Amino acid sequence: MVKGYEVVIGLEVHAELNTESKIYCDCKNAFGLEVNTQVCPICMGMPGALPTLNEKVVDYAIKMGHALNCTINNVCKQDRKNYFYPDLPKAYQISQAEVPLCENGHLDILVDGEERRIGVTRIHIEEDAGKLLHSDKFDGSLVDLNRCGVPLIEIVSEPDMRSSAEAHAYLETIKSILQYLNISDCKMQEGSIRCDVNVSVHKPGESLGTRSEMKNVNSFSAAVRGIDFEVNRQIEILEAGGEVIQETRRWDDTKGESLSMRSKEDAQDYRYFPEPDLLTIVIDKERIEKLKSEIPELPNKKLVRYVKEFGLSQKDASFISEDIEKSGLFDECVKDNPKLAKSVSNWILSDVAKYCNETGKKISETKLTADKLLYIIKLIGDGKISNSAGKTIFEIIIDKDKDIDEIIKEKSLVQVSDASALEAIADEVIANNGKSVNDYKNGKTNALGYLVGQCMKASKGKANPGMMKEIILKKIDG
Amino acid sequence: MELYEKSAFELSQMIKNKQTSSVEITKSIFDRIDSVEEKVESYVTLNRDNALKKAEEVDKKLSNGDKLSPLAGIPIGIKDNISTKGLRTTCSSKMLENYVPPFNATVIENINNADMIITGKLNMDEFAMGSSTETSYFKKTKNPFDAERIPGGSSGGSAASVAAGETVVSLGSDTGGSIRQPAAYCGVVGLKPTYGRVSRFGLVAFASSLDQIGPIGRTVKDVAMLQSVISGHDRYDATSANAEIPDFLTKLKSDVKGLKIGIPKEYFGGGIDSNVKDAVFNAVKILEQNGASVKEISLPSTNYALSAYYIISSAEASSNLARYDGVKYGYRAKEFDSLIDMYEKTRSEGFGDEVKRRILLGTFVLSSGFFDAYYKKAKLVQRRVSAEFDEVFKDVDVICTPTVPSTAFKIGENIDNPLKMYATDICTVTINIAGLPAMSIPCGYDDKGLPIGLQLVGNKFCEQTLLNTANAYENIIGEFKSPLL
Amino acid sequence: MNIEIKHIAKLARLRIEDEELKKFEKDMQGIVEMVENLPSDIKDEPLLDPENSMKLREDKVRENKYSRDELTKNAPHVTAGCLVVPKTVE
Repeated sequence: MVKGYEVVIGLEVHAELNTESKIYCDCKNAFGLEVNTQVCPICMGMPGALPTLNEKVVDYAIKMGHALNCTINNVCKQDRKNYFYPDLPKAYQISQAEVPLCENGHLDILVDGEERRIGVTRIHIEEDAGKLLHSDKFDGSLVDLNRCGVPLIEIVSEPDMRSSAEAHAYLETIKSILQYLNISDCKMQEGSIRCDVNVSVHKPGESLGTRSEMKNVNSFSAAVRGIDFEVNRQIEILEAGGEVIQETRRWDDTKGESLSMRSKEDAQDYRYFPEPDLLTIVIDKERIEKLKSEIPELPNKKLVRYVKEFGLSQKDASFISEDIEKSGLFDECVKDNPKLAKSVSNWILSDVAKYCNETGKKISETKLTADKLLYIIKLIGDGKISNSAGKTIFEIIIDKDKDIDEIIKEKSLVQVSDASALEAIADEVIANNGKSVNDYKNGKTNALGYLVGQCMKASKGKANPGMMKEIILKKIDG
Repeated sequence: MELYEKSAFELSQMIKNKQTSSVEITKSIFDRIDSVEEKVESYVTLNRDNALKKAEEVDKKLSNGDKLSPLAGIPIGIKDNISTKGLRTTCSSKMLENYVPPFNATVIENINNADMIITGKLNMDEFAMGSSTETSYFKKTKNPFDAERIPGGSSGGSAASVAAGETVVSLGSDTGGSIRQPAAYCGVVGLKPTYGRVSRFGLVAFASSLDQIGPIGRTVKDVAMLQSVISGHDRYDATSANAEIPDFLTKLKSDVKGLKIGIPKEYFGGGIDSNVKDAVFNAVKILEQNGASVKEISLPSTNYALSAYYIISSAEASSNLARYDGVKYGYRAKEFDSLIDMYEKTRSEGFGDEVKRRILLGTFVLSSGFFDAYYKKAKLVQRRVSAEFDEVFKDVDVICTPTVPSTAFKIGENIDNPLKMYATDICTVTINIAGLPAMSIPCGYDDKGLPIGLQLVGNKFCEQTLLNTANAYENIIGEFKSPLL
Repeated sequence: MNIEIKHIAKLARLRIEDEELKKFEKDMQGIVEMVENLPSDIKDEPLLDPENSMKLREDKVRENKYSRDELTKNAPHVTAGCLVVPKTVE
């Protein structure tokens, strides 16, 4: 609820698929190459050129359909969406209208510790358009058609989201699923995921308000800003006694405002009809099942599991679950050691994440394995090495294939847990720090920490700090 | 008999027997073009230099003893909506007046691989929309049997050039009768193959779900030979069929014993000229006398096919022709003050009236609120039409009808009356709606000496049955008779 | 059926000048009346034809098929490898 209004949000996400070739021709599906060099008569819409459908596009869309619990229409077709624009060389986009590849699904997201189910109306396959380049110095626009025919899936949600935070969680979950399935690069800065946002507001108990559609939303944070702006704009209109009109608006993220593009009356008439250059798509049931079997456990499921089974916080759990490699490492570590979940999570959130951020490497590009991480955690837990020694070892083994026991030997990192040796150190420190001993006895409890610190120093960091503390206590109190 | 008058089959034998060469044949064709093209006007673009060069190459290959296709060295003309790399492909439109494709249609690759000699690009109705070749932006092709009359359309240049000896065989395209109707008017043989039999890749689309490329020749054998060259699955055309390709010529039979012929009563109604009706019945009788059996059949939805055809073809055309916007190729208006102004001027100046009518009709039937009543209904009628043919072909092998209700009309006679023009397609469009193969073969002349066409319709992928029937008939009545030019 | 030729023409990016409008209206009127001859007993169903499905293409790239010059040589206006159109503003 915002200012006494309920907010209703639906999202259309366009994701570029990372196939080798384009959707309807064998040009390379690549970003950032010289203008008009990744084109052919087919994607340029030359007279007489015909499309042929890339099978990977169908497979990827079906995988996404499975991930979002959709019904897969194993018999479906493609349709033409007709409109004129210079970035659309055929003057129609091949898309799906009447029968999409996937429909009637849902996605569970976690918002503020609560699970929410968002309906997924449909997922369909279509082609991307080219790009228009503008320059103030040039009187005209320049057309680069390299992006024409890059495969897209459009994921259309039900109007089930009630806040920009829910929309954000939905978008992040969609993105991490796309990455889990390895079907999209999800590079926001390259525009490989974009979304259109439908927003309306209404008073509780009243029927749904008139919605506006916002286009050109190029990042998830922009979606949040756009939704918040639009919600406030609509509430202001209603509060002033006005009426929200059904229209398409364009989000200008630099100005932080949406502007009207066209009203319902000027709505485009896309004149959809079945694409006659392509026949009906029929996918055999075994193929659909096989694709289903290839779907890993998805990040939204992992997130809930990490919170419920291991007691991780939502923040920590989502950080690990959104990345397939981090969650892979986590799952492998805790599989037989569920009690270590907290420690494993701490290591992934701090040292592993830090290393990956600093080097730009993925976990799979390092030498780190679940076994090694577990071994370090166990050595620390058993008191064989100290925490800081553990970090020293980690920094070595993440880069190099080195045996941990050998590192410990080489760097003499073994923790001293031999009681008599520790007692000798304690006696020496107590003898040399009479003032602190007295302080402690007079109730200054933090003097204990100082004494333990002195012991650690004397042992060159090798003393087992837990045992050390106990011995000192015993000696002073005793 | 001059070389240009001979059939591809005869010329192929002569080349094989070293009685002539490709260069001699090609020269004979271009001499003929030089002497009659002024009267016939069937070509938009001639390919003289390249044709002679290619003929020399083929002769060299032959003298080296290379094993070549039976049609190697034989001249062929190409309808100007089939993309030819480096050779202007205009669709007889101002819109594509200077368009030179950077790629070959798959059928052109096939023709090049068969070492045939492309004589040039043939005139047509603009973007294949028309039944008289009068909507061409460039010229009006004349019927070689009467220069005051149209050659039919839209493949008017393809039929007229073959009838006039300006090429040996040609390729046309047929969306609603555009091969068969001009073949009938010009007294030649034309075949519209089963939808999917021939690749459409590189055929400039009019109505994608109905368009098929097919051969035109003076004899059934020539058409059979050319059909073998262009048939086959193409991985660049998703609608092309993976059907077996017979060698139509070697399998060609010359008798019709046991053939079951169906005569659909709906095709012999009031609109059919009595000369035409008589000639078609006479042809059927000849087939019957030679061993075929004949029965009357009914195709009740024929009545709706013309509507379904104009809705579907125009809808697809409105979308297929949207790409001509002055951005990537083709005509662009000279002056404009905005993007939309550029689009509208370019398209209004670049297209002729018939094309505009079809685009308007197609846009209308797809527009919001009308889609279900027109386009969708027409597509559902199409299913019904197909189902009726499926039923009929359980009982018969070939259906015989007139190709066109009358013989060639005069230039200008129907140009201002689109409905009258559309009505000439009544016997042919249904076949495209059903995706079936059909041929037109000459079956006599009317009282003015104008050729009459017999349409043979077969079941899907049964081109051989049609060719066999046509061949038997041709053997009985004799081959093509040249017009006096 | 009354057809709004101007509206339809706008959708199709055609401009029908006023002096041609009458003729186009008359022609279109007749044509639309002709195509309205469709049966009334047709059952609505999706336009799918599973009996006639297509083979999909393997996801394989074929590189350097055409040079940019070859593909843009037919364009009315090209600058720096780009097609040029009048300035677009949404």
